[in-house]
This record gives sequence, structure tokens and C-alpha cells, in this order.
Amino acid sequence: MPIELDDFITEVRGFLDAHATRRTGGAGDVQWGVGEDRITYFSTEAPEVEAKAVAVAKAWQRTRYENGFGWLTGPTDFGGRGLTTVHELVYDSLEAEYDVPDTGVLAVVGLGMIGPTILAHGQEKIKQRYLPAMYGGDVIACQLFSEPAAGSDLASVETKAVREGDEWVLNGQKVWTSVAHHAQLGLALCRTDPDRPKHRGITAFLVDLSLPGVDIRPLRQMSGGADFNEVFLTDVHVPDDHRLGEVNDGWRVALTTLMNERATVGGETGGPAGRAVSLPFLRELLRANGRLDDPATRRELASLYAGQAAAEYMNRQALRKLRAGVQPGPEASVSKLLYAQNLTRAAHFAADVVGPKLIADTGEWGTFSWTELLLSTPALRILGGTEEIMKNILAERVLGLPKEPGIDTKSPFRELRRSARSSA
Amino acid sequence: MSAGDETTVADADSEELLALREAVRDFLAARSDEAAVREVMIGERGYDEKVWSQMAEQLGLQSLVLPEAHGGDDAGFVALSVVLEEMGRALLPAPFFSSVVLAATALVAAGDDEAAGRLLPGIAAGTTLATLAAPGPDGAWHTGEGALAVAASPADGGGLVLDGTAGIVLDGATADEILLVVAAPEGPTLVSVPGDASGLTRTALRTLDPTRRFASLTLAQTPATVIGQPGAAGPVLAQVLDVATAALAAEQVGGARACLETATAYAKDRVQFGRQIGSFQAVKHKLADMLARVQLADAAAREAAAVLDGADPEGDPGVASAVAHIVASEAYMSVAAENIQVHGGIGFTWEHPAHLYFRRAKSSQLLFGGPNAYHERLLARVGI
Repeated sequence: MPIELDDFITEVRGFLDAHATRRTGGAGDVQWGVGEDRITYFSTEAPEVEAKAVAVAKAWQRTRYENGFGWLTGPTDFGGRGLTTVHELVYDSLEAEYDVPDTGVLAVVGLGMIGPTILAHGQEKIKQRYLPAMYGGDVIACQLFSEPAAGSDLASVETKAVREGDEWVLNGQKVWTSVAHHAQLGLALCRTDPDRPKHRGITAFLVDLSLPGVDIRPLRQMSGGADFNEVFLTDVHVPDDHRLGEVNDGWRVALTTLMNERATVGGETGGPAGRAVSLPFLRELLRANGRLDDPATRRELASLYAGQAAAEYMNRQALRKLRAGVQPGPEASVSKLLYAQNLTRAAHFAADVVGPKLIADTGEWGTFSWTELLLSTPALRILGGTEEIMKNILAERVLGLPKEPGIDTKSPFRELRRSARSSA
Repeated sequence: MSAGDETTVADADSEELLALREAVRDFLAARSDEAAVREVMIGERGYDEKVWSQMAEQLGLQSLVLPEAHGGDDAGFVALSVVLEEMGRALLPAPFFSSVVLAATALVAAGDDEAAGRLLPGIAAGTTLATLAAPGPDGAWHTGEGALAVAASPADGGGLVLDGTAGIVLDGATADEILLVVAAPEGPTLVSVPGDASGLTRTALRTLDPTRRFASLTLAQTPATVIGQPGAAGPVLAQVLDVATAALAAEQVGGARACLETATAYAKDRVQFGRQIGSFQAVKHKLADMLARVQLADAAAREAAAVLDGADPEGDPGVASAVAHIVASEAYMSVAAENIQVHGGIGFTWEHPAHLYFRRAKSSQLLFGGPNAYHERLLARVGI
């Protein structure tokens, strides 16, 4: 029997009071010019600073786990608590009232997407081996999905996996792999049969990133930091029991991951970037720049805020439905589109208000600091499925419009590559 | 109809509200389809009296949201939203918004039992048509700047008389009772004037949206009855605006969804270059954008109605309504225009209904002042 919600709340409060500090002041109390003025979406820290933050994140996840809050919805057999999504939502909203370390490096990809995928498709002993370690904060997991020639067209992955006895030998190159440089485990999509149609010749493997032949190279982003990586796989030997799902059935495995990805990305509202779209913060930005009485700026502020508030209403209503047991459908892609649009719009709005002090660092609080968010926004329209792919999903799966003709999902993968090359 | 049905079914509406939606949709499909709307929109009165009385007698729509004490059913704003969405979807030409939303809300908000007892039962039964105007300097809805256009002064034999022009009054030519916010010595005051009052001249106006009528009212020493306290209309008007903009948002969502559904159906049906145009990404992505706008407006309108019903203790009705008014106004206008674009030349013809939605979208967006007013109204509601 799941614990009663009231008892659960008491338990969570007790845990948080014992292990964390409650935040003081509400969102309405903005003290302009005081404290940190950075508004980041991606990390721009030096590697050693970042490594320290990762250690802190792992430690907090371990504390959660040891006290029974590391994996609330997971099955008890694998270290979960066996509770409902409602309990998880309640926990999240309570924890938001406390100052706790940001665990995004573990949670967004590993716990949010890879964990559920292992749970759905992994063998018993693999679940036993990795799930408690992941939710216990010891193992960070990443996707090994995209490749230089397989971006939006993910089913065109070319990384090869060839069977050798009880093992598979992996060769290929993965790219845009967020957090791989902090991770111990990767979920790789590999081509196992190029003579089958592209969606039906892929197999999914869990790859221990400490194995010989795994080479992880951070990629520097336009925003300055390096959150994502290239991962080269050269003769990496993976045991067959690390395969998820059946041979050549890896696309189904990938869909489990992707479904969880879109739900995660669309649901983000907080974080340091949340401040950029918070009304009290924007009001102070206008006041500090003498624009509070400028009609054009006021109009843009109102329009920006209306869009942001409505998107929050939409997320709140989706949460209410989730609580009532209704799973989000493809229409959840709307939320991801709006999130990217709103944050992008807010960054440009702030930049316009700040004016020339954004193009050169004068040292003034709350001015040049907006460059970090501004330079992160282009990624929001790309990561986790580009805006164009999201719109295809909405149009095809919600509105029922026909698919693009000429996309070949029937011919053997080997022939697709050949014909594309010869026609180019 | 795959688009709208899927998104409607997926929402958390209760069985009761789904049944109400279906009843209203079926009724309007039967009694106010496009042919009927077109007939009424060129007629003199601008609505079908028979349909209006059936709405009251068979479905009880006029009484739905009104207080029980005055012949209503107290069904709440979420229920009202469902009805208005369907009316917006069908472009129903009827004095529902003026009488049931604007005038009735003002009567309730004014807290004047005598006036409520005199007018609300008739409004609830559909036998009295009322309207409300708060004319500013340009004769349209007063947005807070400048003086009210109609002034009240003491009459010789006691009571008040009105002078001035209410330039753009919703259903002003057909209303039995006209509520006005006027400038009195005590401040803005809510008054009522019967449609046949002395010194009142009503002129029906040409309108952008033929399914929604407006009139210009000139008042010369016209006797009026004060509703509530003299000088107390400010807070009443604010409350009316919250309800009216939330209600309008629901109607706008209904219209916007109709545009999305029509455009989607056409994109599946129309073949060019040997394929359905909806398979081209240029068209497909346009429709995805339309869907996103409609979903956002829907979320905002739902929130506003729920907050007005007191269902969300964190919600502020002033903020939620102002947000809904902006988001739904802009979504409807954009989607109505894109609907024409998806249809191409046929969408620009008089025979195609796309222009009726375009007209309704712009007319609704500007009804309470438009972008010039609604952005500032939201900022005022959040204290900026």
C-alpha cells in the first residue's frame, strides 16, 4: 500500500529539514544588484569547478536515496520506493522550497530517460546492477544516440555492432552526447543489420564507458562551455547481457528514451534561467535601465509575460491530468516548443533593454551577464528533437496530416545510403 | 473533425461538461449552421428570435451561469466557457454576450437587489435583452484614459438625466434595457435606461463582423435609474471586465479551433503537385504552429474560468483573465488569417466561411480596447 499523502508530506518535510536549508524570501523579493547576476542555461564553468559541482550533485542524490527519496516511482526490487507520480510531484514541489544542489547532471538524461529505458528493456541482472547505482548517485548515464550523419534522422545510425560469441564489438562515432564527460554508462544505438529497413536493423546496448576503446572528447559550445561531447567507439567489446531488448529491435528501445526526453525538456520551468522569465526580476531590469515608463518596452513585457503565464497554466493543467492518471500524449510537444520560444524571447527582450552594455562588459551588475543566456538560446530549438521535428510530430500525430512522401522506411538501410550518395 | 475532437477528448472535462458541450454543439449544428448564420447576418435584427428562445427553453443557456436567487442555475464559469466555446465555434449571432455576460455580470457585481430582481429573471429566461456599455471619449469601451462619454445630471423632478453619445454599443439597437457607466458628480456610476426611453436615439452601425451587431446611442436629457451606489461603478466595471474577457477568451478559443480544424481538413483533402498539401512541411508546420497557439489559448481560457470559479486558490482572476484575453485574442487573429492562407484563393471568397472567422477574430480582439489597452491592463493587474 502506498503511503498516505499526508504522512508522506510529513516524512519529506522531516527529511528536508534535517538535510537542507529552507529558502528565505519568495520570488517576489528581488534585490537588484545583490548577489549572483549570472543567468545560465548551460555550464560555462572551468572543468575543475564543474567536477566539484558534479561531486556535490552525486552526494545529494545519494542522500536522497539513502533516505528513501532517490527513486520514488521505481520498483522496490531495484531500489525504488514503489510510489506514484503524485508522490514524486509532491516531493519535487516541497524540495523546491529548500536550497539543495542542482542534480541535473544525473537526473535529466540518466535518471529521467535512461533509467526508465533500462527498467523497460533490461535483463533482470542488468537492472539489479545499474538501477540502484544510478538512482543512488554513483553512476551517471548518457545517451549515445546522434551521429554526424544521423541527427534528426536518428534511425540512420551507422555505428556498427558485430556479434563475436557472447560479446558484441562496437565501432563508430557518436556526437552531441550531453554529460558523457561525467558519465560512467552510455546507451548506444548501433546498426546490427544493414540489410533490413533502417528502423529494423538497430540494436541498443548499455556501454560501460570505462571499457577500452571508448574515447570521450568534449565539444565546446557557442556559449563557451562544454556540456556535450563526441564519443568515439573503437573495437569496444560489450557483453551480450548488456543488450537492451531483442537484436534489431533497438528502435523500440530508443522510443522509450525519446518519449521521456520530450516530457523532461518541456516540463522545465525553474533553474537559474527561470529567473529570466520571472516578472519581478524583469520589472527590476526595466527599473534599473529607466525603461519602466517606456510604452513600447511595457507592451513587449506584457506580451512576453502573457505568453509565459499561459505556458505555465498549460503545464499546470498537464500536471493535474497526470495526477488524474492521464499520460501526456504527443501534444506535450507544444510545451517544448513554447519553452524554447519563451526563453529565447525573454533573452532578446532583456538584451534590448540592457542595450549597448550587453556588447561590452562594463562590470555593471545585471547587464553583460545576460550574454550567457542569450548565447544558450539557439540550442533550445535544437536539443531533444529540433523545432522542425516537433512540428512534424504535432502535425502528423495530433492533427493526422500525411507523412512526407519519399521517406523510405522499407528498403534495406544499405541501399538508402548508396542511393542518397549517388543522387547528391 | 479529427483534430478538435482529439484535443477536446483528451482534456480533463467532467462527464457533465462533456454532455453540455455535446448538447450545445448538436443544437447549434441543427439550428444555427452556416446557412442559418448567413441568413441572420444580413437580416435586420442580427439574430434569430426563435433560436434565441429555444436556447432558453430547451437548453436553459441564458440562465446557466446566473444566480439561483434570480432565476439562474449557478453552474459556474467553467460551464459558461463550454457554452461560449461552442457559440464561438459556430459563430452564433445572438445577444448572448451582451445580455448574459456583460449586463448580467454588472447587475450581480453592483449588488443592487432591486435592479437584479427587476432585470435578471428576464435575462435568465431570455425574455429581456440587456446590454452594457462603458463608453470612453471615442465612444468605445472606456480604457481608463479620458472622461466617460455620457454625463449624468440631476433632473428637475428628481432622479438623473443623461446626455452624451455612446458610440459603439454591443447589441445596442435591439436591447430592451441598456446599462451604462456614466460620469456622475459622485464619480463613475452604473445606470440603466430602457430601450424606448425618451431622448434616446439608437442607430445601428455597419460592422466589421456581421455576426455581431453594434449601435450608436445618443442621449439627450434621457431619464435613467441608478444601479448600486452613485460613484461606485469603478470596481463593478473591473469585475465585469475580468468575467467578460475570460468569457470572450472561451468564445475565441472555440472560433480558433474551428479555423484549425477547417484548415487541417483542407490540407488533407487538397492535392497539388500530386500530393496532399498537408504533406508539405511548409503547410504542415504552419498547422503545427496554429495548433500550438490554439492549445495555449485554450489553457489560458480554462485557467481564467477555473480561477473565476474559485477552483484555483493560487489564481488571481484579474491576472488570469488579462492573460487569457491577450493570448486568446492573438491566437484567434493569427489562426483565422492562417486558415485563409492554407485555403489559398478559395479562402478569400465571400462564399467560404473563413472570412467570417477573420472578421469575428479582429472584432473580438478590439472589443475592449485591443492591444493598446490589454497589455497595460495586464501590467496594472500585476502591479507594474
